[in-house]
Amino acid sequence: MKTSNGFILYIQEILTGAKSLAVGLWITLKRLFSPIVTVQYPRKKLTMTPNFRGHIEAIRFDDTKTHHCVACGLCARICPSHVIKVQGEKTKAGDKKIGRHYVIDFSKCSHCGLCVDVCPEQTLKFSREYELVYYSRWDTVIDLMQRLEERP
Amino acid sequence: MNITQLPYIKDIFAFMGSDLMAAVIGLLIIAVFVPLNVAFLVLVERKVAGHIQLRPGPMEVGPHGILQTLIDAVKLLGKEMVTPGMTDKVLFFLAPILVVVPAFVGWVPISFSPIMQIREMNVGVLLIFSFSSISILSILMAGWSSNNKYSLIGAVRAVAQNVAYEIPLLLSTMSVIIMTNTFRMSEIVNAQSSVWHILYQPVAAIIFIIATTAECNRAPFDLVEAESELVSGFHTEYTGMRFSLFFLAEYTNMVIAASMATVLFLGGWFGPFFPGLIWFVIKVYFLIFVVMWVRWTYPRLRFDQLMNFAWKVLIPIALVNLLITAIVLKVI
Repeated sequence: MKTSNGFILYIQEILTGAKSLAVGLWITLKRLFSPIVTVQYPRKKLTMTPNFRGHIEAIRFDDTKTHHCVACGLCARICPSHVIKVQGEKTKAGDKKIGRHYVIDFSKCSHCGLCVDVCPEQTLKFSREYELVYYSRWDTVIDLMQRLEERP
Repeated sequence: MNITQLPYIKDIFAFMGSDLMAAVIGLLIIAVFVPLNVAFLVLVERKVAGHIQLRPGPMEVGPHGILQTLIDAVKLLGKEMVTPGMTDKVLFFLAPILVVVPAFVGWVPISFSPIMQIREMNVGVLLIFSFSSISILSILMAGWSSNNKYSLIGAVRAVAQNVAYEIPLLLSTMSVIIMTNTFRMSEIVNAQSSVWHILYQPVAAIIFIIATTAECNRAPFDLVEAESELVSGFHTEYTGMRFSLFFLAEYTNMVIAASMATVLFLGGWFGPFFPGLIWFVIKVYFLIFVVMWVRWTYPRLRFDQLMNFAWKVLIPIALVNLLITAIVLKVI
């Protein structure tokens, strides 16, 4: 009785195993004829989704043709990694302060987005930059205002 | 002066007749065909692997990367052949040479079409099996002489695996042999002029293909060169052209195994519309495609699973299949 039961189990194991192998082959055969999903990178590039979080960058507004940063320093204060440094200046007395330098070391940035959320002028956003390869770690320290002027 | 008037040439011709010419022409064709075929198969393998993983595979060298493997061969030819210290120099030198020999000799008795066969032999099937065992010997030589633990483990695995899988291979071949009563390749093919043997012997055909996959050390049975455990197994220490000789032998053995399966089960050169050779090539490359497809589908077996699969599944089923075949043939 027990041996015949073992024999049935043996046959069942072979049959279920063969079936699962056939299922696996069918899946890879379907993949073989489905369209490829990769792109040939240096020649073709993917466009990032709007939700992509690169390092932060300043927004260019249409009314002033530049950013709205007032150098309040809230982003520098809330940053958990202390990677932001803002410098602003007043051109004349009684005028608004304007951000002149916004330096960020994004090699230490964790892309938490607190600076974007806290900004009272809403002049920060995530860039869609993903080709982040540099020769020195000092190359990751960038001035966002300078970047805004260089990239219209 | 006519070369055939030389006395010793005459003697050789009298002794061997037209077989000598067939052997010379055949070996020339093999020597040209084998490396080109390997270059082609490596490209096909990479393309199949790529498309199964939803990527295009090699695309840079030539249109759709068709020249990639030729460039790889040139690169391998240009590399230094390093012999590490503390190795067994003679065996280390001999192993990659010896591994190519069965890959070339195995072509001799295969009948590609009614007229394309280098040498008809009474023991053609057995000859290929016996020569395929030599390649295991050279793998053991390579692993032992490298003086490297990974090489040795890979070589020992190769021996254990090939001993285990040769039994179901020969048993499944035997169930065809007792149907045709011959070891001659062309007679086995001629016996399938109406019905292919795969319809009479589907179990034996599946066991044969599984066992040849294991004999060629192809995935999922590639424990010999399991790169996640053994760097690359028995050819860890080999560089440049010596490494590519092992590669050449692996892919050529695959073609020989597929040719054997075609002859034994898929009706050799028989098929409608096209001449025999084209049908043979189509069947061989279809089987090679199946082997590649299997490679990129299944994960590698563990070593105990490998041995259990051979001894507990394949050998009993092959024996039962042989027994049933024998009984049915006796009754009919």
